[in-house]
Amino acid sequence: MLPSLFWLIPLGSVVALSFAFIFFKQMMKGEEGTERMIIIARHVRTGAMAYLKQQYKIVTVFFLLITILFSVLAYVLELQNPWVPFAFITGGFFSGLAGFIGMKTATYASARTANAAKHSLNAGLQIAFRSGAVMGLVVVGLGLLDISVWFVVLNYFYPSFEGDGHNLMIITTTMLTFGMGASAQALFARVGGGIFTKAADVGGDLVGKVEAGIPEDDPRNPATIADNVGDNVGDVAGMGADLYESYCGSILSTAALGSAAFMYSREIQFNSVIAPMLLAVVGILLSIIGIYTVKTRENAGQKELLAALNRGVTLSSVLIVIASIGILLLLDMPNPFGLWGSVITGLITGIVIGKATEYYTSSSYSPTINIARSSKTGPATVIISGLATGMMSTAIPVLAVATGIIMSFLFASGFSFVNISEGLYGIGIAAVGMLSTLGITLATDAYGPIADNAGGNAEMSGLGVEVRNRTDALDSLGNTTAATGKGFAIGSAALTALALLASYIEELKIGLLRLGQTSIVFSNGSEIKIAEATLTDFMNYFEVNLINPKVLVGVFIGAMMSFIFCGLTMNAVGRAAGKMVDEVRRQFREIPGIMEGKEEPDYAKCVEISTRGAQMEMILPSALAILIPIFMGLLFGVPGTIGLLVGGLSSGFVLAIFMSNSGGAWDNAKKYVEEGNLGGKGSASHKATVIGDTVGDPFKDTSGPSLNILIKLMSMVAIVMSGLTVAFSVF
Amino acid sequence: MDQKYLYLSLTPEALIASMLPPEDFGKYLAVGSKKRTRGQALFFEVDTNIESDYFKTGIIKERCVPHSNGAPKRSVYLSIYRVLEHIPLSKLKNLYLVTDDGRVLGLEKGEYSVKNNSQLHLYQQLGPVSPRVATKLNPVEFVKFITDLSQPVSVPKIVFTELTLDELAENPLKGNDESLPYSNIDHLRDCLIGLTNKDSKKTKTVIRTLTGNLFYRMVKNGFFIGENGNVVYYPFPSLEELNSKYYPWWKSAVTIGF
Repeated sequence: MLPSLFWLIPLGSVVALSFAFIFFKQMMKGEEGTERMIIIARHVRTGAMAYLKQQYKIVTVFFLLITILFSVLAYVLELQNPWVPFAFITGGFFSGLAGFIGMKTATYASARTANAAKHSLNAGLQIAFRSGAVMGLVVVGLGLLDISVWFVVLNYFYPSFEGDGHNLMIITTTMLTFGMGASAQALFARVGGGIFTKAADVGGDLVGKVEAGIPEDDPRNPATIADNVGDNVGDVAGMGADLYESYCGSILSTAALGSAAFMYSREIQFNSVIAPMLLAVVGILLSIIGIYTVKTRENAGQKELLAALNRGVTLSSVLIVIASIGILLLLDMPNPFGLWGSVITGLITGIVIGKATEYYTSSSYSPTINIARSSKTGPATVIISGLATGMMSTAIPVLAVATGIIMSFLFASGFSFVNISEGLYGIGIAAVGMLSTLGITLATDAYGPIADNAGGNAEMSGLGVEVRNRTDALDSLGNTTAATGKGFAIGSAALTALALLASYIEELKIGLLRLGQTSIVFSNGSEIKIAEATLTDFMNYFEVNLINPKVLVGVFIGAMMSFIFCGLTMNAVGRAAGKMVDEVRRQFREIPGIMEGKEEPDYAKCVEISTRGAQMEMILPSALAILIPIFMGLLFGVPGTIGLLVGGLSSGFVLAIFMSNSGGAWDNAKKYVEEGNLGGKGSASHKATVIGDTVGDPFKDTSGPSLNILIKLMSMVAIVMSGLTVAFSVF
Repeated sequence: MDQKYLYLSLTPEALIASMLPPEDFGKYLAVGSKKRTRGQALFFEVDTNIESDYFKTGIIKERCVPHSNGAPKRSVYLSIYRVLEHIPLSKLKNLYLVTDDGRVLGLEKGEYSVKNNSQLHLYQQLGPVSPRVATKLNPVEFVKFITDLSQPVSVPKIVFTELTLDELAENPLKGNDESLPYSNIDHLRDCLIGLTNKDSKKTKTVIRTLTGNLFYRMVKNGFFIGENGNVVYYPFPSLEELNSKYYPWWKSAVTIGF
């Protein structure tokens, strides 16, 4: 029998999904506008759904193969928990469902946002933001639903309050494996979406803007619709799946760490498991309150618009700080104020990373302005200064995460480096704190592509200058929130991956028990029962130390993985964009009426080309991300795998910040010039910054964000395959 | 009815008869009939009742006729040499500015009044020659100066537009040049400083010939065509008008392909 407090978790999920439904219905009540607006929106919607359909086909095949593999491991070789194949499928299914709903909403919302902007700026903001909130609330709602259902099912087979406390460990570590399903789905969404969006964007620009000389968002460009579809598949479905995985991963890894840290008391152990889930529930309620506070006055400037969004996010964050101490006290957690400190640390870390991202990528601050100024001496100096700015921009986020790790660890461990289990639980709680208000922070993120598409729709439909000015203002705000959102996604991925790394050890414990081993024997002959062994004992047992060459090899290969992964995804964009260039050229050549606007281009063909390109190109990097941790585990065992995860996490985290911020800064440096600075459009400076922006496109929209998934997925694969690793490693 | 038009192209200088109305003719000039090319174009519509011994206008009736498939004749070149000087100002109708992807903006004649004589000016000449010159002379004075055939450096008739100099127009020594897109900006500044330092110097050549596209967005006030004391002025729309009335053209005009 589960305590009554537990039932707040599924209730929170229902509340989130209900409000998502209400916001969706409210948005659907709005008019889509003129016939032209409806046609354009339909093109984008059809293209987006065609993309998802194709992607889900490939993902289904992948999931079937992996499920067969897991079934063999679980039922034939008995190396894995028998629930893993099912957990894997549900994780992937819910992640995909969140992306599907978010994208469906976004594609319905863009024309309605443009149409609402005909009446007022606030009306446009409300439609766009609340449609973004659908995505935010669906992600958190489905995440908690998946967690709740699995908890109830597993609790039936492994009652939480029976036995020596291992039941709860089995429950939490089993649930952790559904994160691999979410992670794998997120990888496909992020990598595939990232390749799609940039192939359409770069390919469309190269022929449309550069060769044919027609402006962006011009309906005569055959790739325009694909470009708009790309905004949705990359920034809505991709970002949603990414953060769904972080959200669930942080909650589940913290639960797993809590079940291991507090085994001395059944009640505290259970409460430590549901504490991150209850924090998430309260975060949902506060996100909904925050969403309702986002509004602005007519004729609001850019600062006021930003302030309107910040008001909602800040209010939710402040309230979660107050509410979280209440939850910890209610649960009677040991060291509640220390854990509260960890929650606050996580929130502050998220805010610092977001602000640092804004500082390094916004054209209001010197780093981006300096990149723009370097255009006076040509494209080479733009590239150099963009790379340098991106590299410099890693300092604050890395130091923020480092400080966050240490502080959350110390707060939770009672300022002792010896109390490792509780300290690691604190790191997990910090990640949960950062993601607790994901309902609203993801809304600000998903809002960006909706506003961007609304601008495109207004442009293509030839709406009046006042409407375009409003959609431009909303779009411009979306660019700022998107950059901040990317920083937030990277920061949360780093903390989540760290919590997952710690959870890996717990998973090994279960793996050894499953093999029938009850104790671990050290090289000096001493023996400790597995049930009593600490994390440090396991690290010693598996010889995870820096003079073990297996660890060092793992670190090197992990670091290399980040770069190989980036290289593969960037080349993929180049190739997919090349196919798009060929198609757009073909259409200009074979459909002569396009340039006069007398004949409509074949938009669907461009969407199809980009979709096929993205699907083909995502297979190799995705396969590597999954296979390398398995091979490393089989070859060099636990030390090699931990080295791989550490190397991948540290290099991937820094590289992701560098790439996202370089790309963002190049993009905004170009926009700064286009605003009329340094010679404005058409000047030599403009040409130089356009080159920087083109280089930065795959940096910020494909490779950088995909690294978030890489670092989490490698940990997830290691966790799921831990049974295989301990049973079959060669060395 | 097969209506015929007469156009004075400035890119390059030519007199062309066509069955296409100005919008379609502009598109044709910019992107060609198969849309495999692109290029900016500027042209005047000319009164078809032009009387001239210089041009063989008789061939218009003979050659400017529909193709065998009924398609209108796009262009019949009447002359490509010293065309501008042989067309009276009174025969010029609207001026058309075409972006390199074929968007056409028509400008009507307007009144020009000299505003501030102390400012420096930058003129991009469009015909019959195309240097870019910095000068102390206002447009009316400049026309008079450059079409004075008693001077060694002169042309019989001139078409040009005034380009924005921003702060350099008032303060060439210290004015901010960051928003100016022109190449060799330091040379431009030197030319302007030279003009202010030397009373006798009225014009300085900044660029000997126009290469690439004219920056429509840098047009300060409009386009001028003149000879001796006569000046015809085609005012350029305000930014507000460009954004509201002529948005598709304006958006195309500020998009520069690389």
